[in-house]
Amino acid sequence: MRGMITLAVAAALLVAACGGAGDKSGGASGGTAGAPQSTAGFDGTTIKLGVLSPLSGPVAVIGLPLTAGNKIWFDALNAKGGVAGKYKVELVQEDTQYKPDVTVQQYNKIKGNVVAFTQVLGTAPTLAVLPQLKTDKVLAAPASLDAFWVREPNLLPVGAPYQIQVINSIDYYLTEGGGTKDSKICNMIQDDVYGEAGLAGLTFAAQKYGFSIATTQRYKTGTENFAGQIQALAGAGCQMVFLTATPSDAGKIWGTAAQARFAPKWYAQSPAYAAALAKSPLTPYLQQTTLIVAEGTEWGDEKVPGMKGMVDGMAKFGPGQQPDYYLAFGYNQGRAMTAVLEKAVQLGNLSRDGILEASKQLGTVSFEGLSGDYQYGPAETRNPPRVNTLFAVDPSKPFGLKSVKVNFTSDAAKSFEFQKAG
Amino acid sequence: MTVFLQNCFAGLALGSTYALVALGFVVIFKSTGVINFAQGGLLALGAYLGYTFSNNLLLGFGVAIVLACVTAGVVGAGFERIVLRRMVGQPPFAVIMITIGLLFVLEPLITAVWGFDNKQVRNPWNIQTVEVGGLVFGVRDLWTIGLTAAVVAGFFVFFRYSSLGLAMRVTAFDPEAALAQGISAKRVYAVSWAIAAALAALAGIAMAAGPGGLSPSIGFIALAAFPAMIVGGMDSPAGAVLGGLVIGLAEALTRGYQDQLFSWAGDNVSVIVPYLLMIVILLIRPYGLLGTKDVRRV
Amino acid sequence: MGKAHRNLVRDYKQDLRLFGSPMAKAGLALMLGVLLLLPMVIQDDFWLSVLIYVGITAVGAIGLNLLTGYCGQISLGHAFFIGAGAYITGWFGGKLGLPLVLWLPLAAITGGLLGAVVGPFALRLRGHYLAIVTLGLVFIGEHIWRNFKGLTGGNSGTSINADLSLGPLDLNRVELAGEVYSRNQGYFWLVWALVAVIALLVKNLVRTRPGRALQAVRDRDQAAEVIGVRAGRYKIGAFVVSSAIASVAGALFGAYQQFVSPDEWNLLLSIQYIAIVIVGGLGTVFGSILGAVFVGALPALIDRFGDAIPGVQTSVGGEGFISVFALNQAIFGVLIVIFLVFEPRGLAGIWLRIKAYFKSWPFSY
Repeated sequence: MRGMITLAVAAALLVAACGGAGDKSGGASGGTAGAPQSTAGFDGTTIKLGVLSPLSGPVAVIGLPLTAGNKIWFDALNAKGGVAGKYKVELVQEDTQYKPDVTVQQYNKIKGNVVAFTQVLGTAPTLAVLPQLKTDKVLAAPASLDAFWVREPNLLPVGAPYQIQVINSIDYYLTEGGGTKDSKICNMIQDDVYGEAGLAGLTFAAQKYGFSIATTQRYKTGTENFAGQIQALAGAGCQMVFLTATPSDAGKIWGTAAQARFAPKWYAQSPAYAAALAKSPLTPYLQQTTLIVAEGTEWGDEKVPGMKGMVDGMAKFGPGQQPDYYLAFGYNQGRAMTAVLEKAVQLGNLSRDGILEASKQLGTVSFEGLSGDYQYGPAETRNPPRVNTLFAVDPSKPFGLKSVKVNFTSDAAKSFEFQKAG
Repeated sequence: MTVFLQNCFAGLALGSTYALVALGFVVIFKSTGVINFAQGGLLALGAYLGYTFSNNLLLGFGVAIVLACVTAGVVGAGFERIVLRRMVGQPPFAVIMITIGLLFVLEPLITAVWGFDNKQVRNPWNIQTVEVGGLVFGVRDLWTIGLTAAVVAGFFVFFRYSSLGLAMRVTAFDPEAALAQGISAKRVYAVSWAIAAALAALAGIAMAAGPGGLSPSIGFIALAAFPAMIVGGMDSPAGAVLGGLVIGLAEALTRGYQDQLFSWAGDNVSVIVPYLLMIVILLIRPYGLLGTKDVRRV
Repeated sequence: MGKAHRNLVRDYKQDLRLFGSPMAKAGLALMLGVLLLLPMVIQDDFWLSVLIYVGITAVGAIGLNLLTGYCGQISLGHAFFIGAGAYITGWFGGKLGLPLVLWLPLAAITGGLLGAVVGPFALRLRGHYLAIVTLGLVFIGEHIWRNFKGLTGGNSGTSINADLSLGPLDLNRVELAGEVYSRNQGYFWLVWALVAVIALLVKNLVRTRPGRALQAVRDRDQAAEVIGVRAGRYKIGAFVVSSAIASVAGALFGAYQQFVSPDEWNLLLSIQYIAIVIVGGLGTVFGSILGAVFVGALPALIDRFGDAIPGVQTSVGGEGFISVFALNQAIFGVLIVIFLVFEPRGLAGIWLRIKAYFKSWPFSY
């Protein structure tokens, strides 16, 4: 009986079997002028873009606002007519749970339906799909400020990398922040690839400015008790601590420090901050001790054109969204990807090759004050922005941050060299 | 010396939390012979219930704690009644897996209801501190240690002097003999689950009331409490408390002296100290510090 | 004497045959045929990659089933050996550039050696204690992966560019009879061929003397010693073989994904394997494969058709209160509970029941 069924199935398969699937890279190759031909992910009117983001799980705290940022940008763009005024953009979102293997599966699921990926969140998931991006000739925008991405032709990063954030902060601390080369400068990082980026920046700064890192404390994400690390920092006499963390851990770290009455100068990487921190029992402590290094301007500062656009877009297309750096990041990604698409339309080719070519020919993209201008082009000559803004905690501001020093670049940051991953 | 004492205090505060969770493990193991992997899920559930009672319903913090413990206890007993009762007589392995199943169900339910973002629980402790002789103590930590001590004391009184406590001890010792004496094993099982869940909820709220607030990853701490249970002895409540404190101290001290003494062992070695300690203890005393040596029969 | 009925077994030897009846042999051959043709029919990269991960999981699950299902030892340390396999592949296959026929066996050997080092310590303990000590192994392993930077790349992870050719055949781009097959198709064949080979090896192992000894140890270890089975030795043996197989699964995983980081080898992975073994059925090789298909394909199905399920949120700003992943995890948890309560023999048990029904047909009851 069973044999019969299997036999029938096998026969059906044999009939249906029709050979290989290799060599199927999007075949469209339009001329340099005229409307782009339809291709995988583009039906002649609508451009589809992929989003691979953790929409659930612990990292969803980052993935959800970031994807909302992508969506607000493209919804606002579509309302104005779309790419080049006529092609609407549609996002195809997939949940990666921040797991590399799931990311690879989801990438395979939608790569045939999209022209490019406007978001791949996280360093490890991006590294996991990178080999396939290269063989499939697909362009993707990583949502991570790692310095690895700058020299990868298949990736489209935005923003000043984490390393630059650290270097600029140190420069500020040594020049205006009251620190000297002999100050005890310390590091607290989460024990993963994001933390390594912070450490790399500080190590570079230490060489450049000639100080030594008094101690580096690591912690595992999701740790509940930071007393040991705080004791070690206090024991080493740290006067300045650079913190590379995410908001839920950062809150615990600052809380533990406040409880231990340990009050160095904290400088924290932009992802460490969340608006809730400015409305918590910790706020007075943070006001006294903490500076956040990020980009652009104060939230809602309408003098900056980009900020006005984003706040308006948020009110219209993302009601209920809270101000958030990740949201702004997603919004910036949308702008960079749109620049590539406009270029590709101009070249008349929205196929994978066309988009890669467009990203190569892309010049400098301005983010209208939300982030530093990014000089794109061939991966070898790309130059990411090296400007940062320092913020202090201030509960009276919309996002709880007021700017301390706007858009500055240190010489050390200018001399930082970017290399490829691995 | 100050640094050393300060680290010891951090260890005791951490150890108290481990002790509460480990005590929950032991209560269930002793009466039903099952390791409850869902303890972390119950802990998170209790903490979020406490958050809802305190922040959304604006109840007093003390009331919120009691209500959260009671609700978690009802959930624990309910799970025992609905699912685990069908498993009586099945191999312990199967029952362990069922508790893992419960953990897998609890986690997404909690995040579906309360979301992933960090919550600040309204509480009277926050980041206040007391200073005594150059040492700084967090008020929350002092309360955690105090609450743990009170619960442990209450626990021993309950087991020694109440009839239900006696029934539980008897059932743990010899279920059939207990049944023959008219003790309801069903009731004992349900009560042990209720107690374990309530303990988990208490530990959860004490953690959530701290400086960092509450996020879904709070349940992870239960994994570090496994070693506490093993080190103390799986069937000894006193051992659970001792194990919790030992593990907490060991972890905090390794952390505090990582740079000076343990840099050779790699970064962040304190995370695995509970497990290393557990393995060492198991190789020397396989039944734990205070556990009873079991006799194996063919 | 007339032709015997297909169900008739005349002696014990016949009962122990690797492939019971001619019918079973035919079924097996057909199954292999289907596997051979499947990638040509399903050319969709999504389903191919799902099935590849399913195959890799099936390999690991067969290994764990040998230890847990046949020998009765619960190990939560499987993730450690899977991780080890992936890193070993990164080293032998990637950095040293050895060919597939060398790095795969080397991964198995290294995994087995690691198992032989850990096993004697872990297996001194029984039941619950073993489960919790192997749980410790996962955490200690994670610490090692994060700090042993030369091999693992530390927190940044490492890319694995292992060679994927069998003689003249390059699995990245198989050319057969004028047709070109993609990397996903080629890898599908590699993985499922290995599933078949390992399933046969383990099946053969458990029907012979060592297998019977393992089951005796599982059912009553002291009684087994009394009748002359060296329980300790067999337990360690099962642990070593199971670790070696887990390491092969890790090698396949690493070589397919081409990048691995220490965040992947966590307790959740171990628990997932245990769940697969239970859902599939303890102590059956076929069940492990069924379990892997079920546990691997179900999330993919829910994911693919999530839009059609009410209350599920598939995108930011979309309707619904529970995400696909959360729903998956909850279903996964409920399934474990349901299987243990209602069908402790797992999917394989259901399969056997269906088979028994048709075997005695038309006199089924």
